[in-house]
Amino acid sequence: MFDARTLEEDERLKDTWQAQFAGVRKKFMGDSEYRAETFSGLPVKPLYTPADIEHIPYAEIGVPGQFPFTRGNYPMGYQFMAWANQPVIGCGSPEETRARMDYLREQGMTGYFGHPHFNLVYDLATHGGFDPTHRAAEGRVGECGMSVYSMPTMAILFKDMPLDKMNVVHITMNQTLPILAIYIAYAQSRGYSPDQLRGNSMNWYHTYNVASGLATFPPLACDKLAAELIWYCTRNMPKWNTTNLFGYGIEESGANAYEEIAVIVAAGMSITRRCMELGLAPDDFLPRFGFQIAQGNDFFEEIAKIRALRKIWAKTNRDTFGAKKPQSMQVRIHTHTSGAMLTAQQPLVNLIRTSIQGLGAALSGVQAMEIPGYDEALAIPSEDAARLALRIQQVVAEETNIVKVADPLGGSYYLEALTASLEQKAMEIIERIEEKGGFIKSWESGYIRSLIEVSARKWKEKVDSGRQTVIGVNKYEMKDEQKVPLYKIDPETEKKQKARDVEFKASRDRKRLDSAMKSLEESLVAFRNGDNDHSLLPRMIEAAGCGATNGEMMDVMKKTLGWLNSAVLSPV
Amino acid sequence: MRDEIVRVLLTKAEQDCHDRGVRYIAAKLREAGYEVIYTNFLYPEEVLNTAIQEDVQVVGLSSSTLGHLPVLRHLKEGLKEAGREDILVILGGIIPDDDLPRLKELGIEGVFGPGSTMEALIQFIEARH
Repeated sequence: MFDARTLEEDERLKDTWQAQFAGVRKKFMGDSEYRAETFSGLPVKPLYTPADIEHIPYAEIGVPGQFPFTRGNYPMGYQFMAWANQPVIGCGSPEETRARMDYLREQGMTGYFGHPHFNLVYDLATHGGFDPTHRAAEGRVGECGMSVYSMPTMAILFKDMPLDKMNVVHITMNQTLPILAIYIAYAQSRGYSPDQLRGNSMNWYHTYNVASGLATFPPLACDKLAAELIWYCTRNMPKWNTTNLFGYGIEESGANAYEEIAVIVAAGMSITRRCMELGLAPDDFLPRFGFQIAQGNDFFEEIAKIRALRKIWAKTNRDTFGAKKPQSMQVRIHTHTSGAMLTAQQPLVNLIRTSIQGLGAALSGVQAMEIPGYDEALAIPSEDAARLALRIQQVVAEETNIVKVADPLGGSYYLEALTASLEQKAMEIIERIEEKGGFIKSWESGYIRSLIEVSARKWKEKVDSGRQTVIGVNKYEMKDEQKVPLYKIDPETEKKQKARDVEFKASRDRKRLDSAMKSLEESLVAFRNGDNDHSLLPRMIEAAGCGATNGEMMDVMKKTLGWLNSAVLSPV
Repeated sequence: MRDEIVRVLLTKAEQDCHDRGVRYIAAKLREAGYEVIYTNFLYPEEVLNTAIQEDVQVVGLSSSTLGHLPVLRHLKEGLKEAGREDILVILGGIIPDDDLPRLKELGIEGVFGPGSTMEALIQFIEARH
């Protein structure tokens, strides 16, 4: 990448530097070597110069907006528009959640082109398919998300909102299909057709189980469910983003930087193959894929990881799947700054961590951002914590002047060398997963889990032994820590949601509902038996329109497809 | 040195998320010589039944998104009825300070929140066995 004269000059200057550095090192370390590594364990040198990236063809770095998109998807950075603010919102009842949505809008939360943009997380009872009156939901209604699971609860959440002029992200796990069906049925009841809806289904059928430990449909059924959603949306919802590849969850459960991108690309490849089997062409559906990626604490490694992911995804989709459209090769990223790096101790210090991570995400050129509240190691964020998290995004976007130049770090000797190393390490794992028969087989066999757990363990041992500093946990601890006021769900929420559930269920036309549910079950049985006539989503929407709740649709899915908890699927 | 192998049931609700911590603890306890059974459960009675059937000496409940109080209440009452109050019940994860008095009432002293070390956990169990 450099001419002979530059490399000669580099050699000469580096010799002098080497001698000077060695002198300083001797003072601090005697005869010991200087050794350092990234959080993923890649060796790091004390200095990088042209010689370290000389082997990289310039086209591998290139310019923003051109293959392989190392420096970004688009020719512009943030000159004309910053990333979308996409804080996760979901707390208690639909009313409590709607109040938080309105509050953050008032505080300046902005989506693409100024449109409202809501990133909504459902509660754990709903993820598992338990309506508020279900016994397994006890003590969990509205915790860690919103208790929204039916047409009437959605009607409270989205009251008077223009569904065709806003983006709604549904953060769902197992219940991705039923929740999409309920959203469509609700939109139809307000006169919108599916093709007018904008937003995102997470479609995390491949990853929520390994990432979070939640119970799941069997892996092969998950692969098929994910593809079925894509099939339906590709034909009926051209503005809908069908799939979010959940790298964040993989890193948060312990994977290192290159494992995160390797695992998520392997999952993406599995979904792509399944969609192609259904007769879809890659360019028909890949442009509606996106990613959620973690931004953790190794500042440069996390930036390099995103650049490496862009290269890998672009090359894979072009060379392996024959994609032609640039949109099929681009990695649209919703950053989630790391929740696992937050500490319960000295919680306000988390504001500093997340600010640095948010800056890193912006310097990586991501499309959307969630920054957790400083109190999120302890609870759902308070209004104060949620506002300050949004302010971090606003400060980075509006006060630092970093937005004027596209990919300002491009060309950094260290960053480019690290990007190339991470790409190589990730590709090795992708190839290993492919050799093992692909993502689904590697999930079933426990390989994905073991990859993640080995790294999780290394990290915890580093922290416990003090080799890795975590302020407030193993260094600079305080005896009398400042307490922060924590958000609490209204204690009446569970009771109210239960009463509401009973009332709604009694009000439905039972005959119509039973017939719609029967027809859904028939469709699921055929789907399971490999006799897929693509009636699954239409029948779910029909059932939702007759008042079927998430819990009721999940019940029939569990019954027909099977259901595995994590301890059974991946024993420790 | 102990002369008996301590059996531990580590468990987490299947509708509670984030099992990174509890799975780590399971692996480390095994290395420290414990016999560890790891399960997910849907209803509280599953915890009680497994604890008694498997004849464990310790039950460790992992909780990251609340919902632990009804489970622990059921477990402690069930153990009392079964005459198995000797089984040590401990709790780990994200436990709000507000729950501590209620946990004390239930007789649960071992609460291991964020930042807890394996050493502290093992010492706690050893001191009671």
